[in-house]
Amino acid sequence: MSKIMTVDVLSSIKGAQPSEAVNRLFDVIKNAQTTNNNSFNNNHNNCVSINNLRNDEVIESSTLEKQIIKENFPKEKDGYLVVSKVIEA
Amino acid sequence: MNKKISCVDLIQEKLSALKENAYNTVNTLLTELALEQAAKVDAKIANNETIGLLEGIPFGIKDVYMLQGTYATASSDLLKKYKSAYTATAIQKLLDAGAIPIVKENCDSFGHGSSSENTIFGAVKNAINPELVGGGSSGGSAVNVAKNYTVFSIGGDTGGSVRQPAGYNNIYGLKPTYGRISRFGLMAYASSTDCVGPLAKSVEDIRIVLNTMSGEDTKDQTTYTSESIEETSILDTTGIKTVGYFKNFIESEAIDTQIKEDFLASIEKIKAKGIKVKELDFFKSDILVSTYYTLAMAETASNLSRLDGTNYGDRIDDTNLKESYAVTRSEKFSEETKRRIVGGNQVLSQGFSDEIYLKGLALRDSISENFEKDFEEVDIILSPVTPSTPPKIGASLKNPLAMYLSDAYTVGFSLGQLPTLTVPQGTETGLQITAAKNNDELVLKFANFLKDTI
Repeated sequence: MSKIMTVDVLSSIKGAQPSEAVNRLFDVIKNAQTTNNNSFNNNHNNCVSINNLRNDEVIESSTLEKQIIKENFPKEKDGYLVVSKVIEA
Repeated sequence: MNKKISCVDLIQEKLSALKENAYNTVNTLLTELALEQAAKVDAKIANNETIGLLEGIPFGIKDVYMLQGTYATASSDLLKKYKSAYTATAIQKLLDAGAIPIVKENCDSFGHGSSSENTIFGAVKNAINPELVGGGSSGGSAVNVAKNYTVFSIGGDTGGSVRQPAGYNNIYGLKPTYGRISRFGLMAYASSTDCVGPLAKSVEDIRIVLNTMSGEDTKDQTTYTSESIEETSILDTTGIKTVGYFKNFIESEAIDTQIKEDFLASIEKIKAKGIKVKELDFFKSDILVSTYYTLAMAETASNLSRLDGTNYGDRIDDTNLKESYAVTRSEKFSEETKRRIVGGNQVLSQGFSDEIYLKGLALRDSISENFEKDFEEVDIILSPVTPSTPPKIGASLKNPLAMYLSDAYTVGFSLGQLPTLTVPQGTETGLQITAAKNNDELVLKFANFLKDTI
């Protein structure tokens, strides 16, 4: 499937257009000279060592945390959290 | 001044001052929580229990941090009613040390800005001249410290957002080495440069707060274990032999004449103390700013994609799910935030990513390599904080490009993930002290040296 997506669709922002000020920043990058064009060949990543990965476990949220998460939900009706109309086929 | 005051009275005094203040620094006052904590401290003192260094000390929090049960708005319309479900690691460490949070502070929405005007709570006014901006994005935090409404505040620095407002309001502001303090519970702007940073009125306060918040955290796997910085180790300033500065920063046409003169006068005073000063070559300012904004916009477009009004935030319902997302985001994000999201999606798009985003990453690597070479030759790099003095309120919103370019001296150190401190000395907007990665101690040491030198 080939479909060109415009920035307003990509950004989920109605009528969004690229800005002149930002485009001028990008022009500087396009015209810049780099000594190294391979961005993956670097030693500056903040990678975590495989030995230090955190345990793959489910951590239960506190009751208070769960209650606040529900409070933050934008809509509630008859004890249910209401989502926007879902997905057309 | 030696004055005895109960903790409750102290907190009440600060809360009242914040409530009455006309600088637009407050998003939420944490009155109930703060007074409850203060009463506990008073009880401990009454029982002759030992209290820690930070116990009972009132502090402010930029409104992009989670503090369980309190609002975390990011100064945005979308999250104006959002309540933190949990507490950020850095803030929790301060709470554990007994410090008392009294205010969630005004800032640029999601950290998007250099003036603290991009906010639903009104532009933050400069502590020295209220007609000027407070700086940003941690403007409310800097002004609260400068006006003594808080003893210290916790800002967030992605491209200069602690250092620049610190400079504009004549206080200290530290961006530590990336990863020294956990970002867990800090709303993500550009994750690869986001840093938690303290603002305060003395090097000693910065040291204490930095030590309290630092450390490895499994909830932010970019964090590392660091050693506590001792008071005595930063008082002995004899170890610093060579200081460098970027020639092109000072020779730039954009720099204010007075800032340039004052900076060079500071360099002369440092030389007079027997320290060798070296001029260094560096990338042009427009390349630094463009590289930073390209990467930061790409990261923020990704980070803020979760804000669609589905699970939290202010939702506007429309005909279907996609329309609801789009209408919510269009109406609830500010113009500056939308500009950055759109810019980010532009550079991440097929056809553009190679010539802009990937090239930006390559430039970032070159910038980091440049720093590594520099720190083989010098111990410290000294820079002005900003090319100009703070603009008048209203000017930055009209000219976003000028606002981006005003970050010319701060963004490079963010890309390099280096520890950098603003000190309220040397120029009207201060000086920045930078050291090699993980050498935050040397930065504080040099700040103590400057206190006695200029």
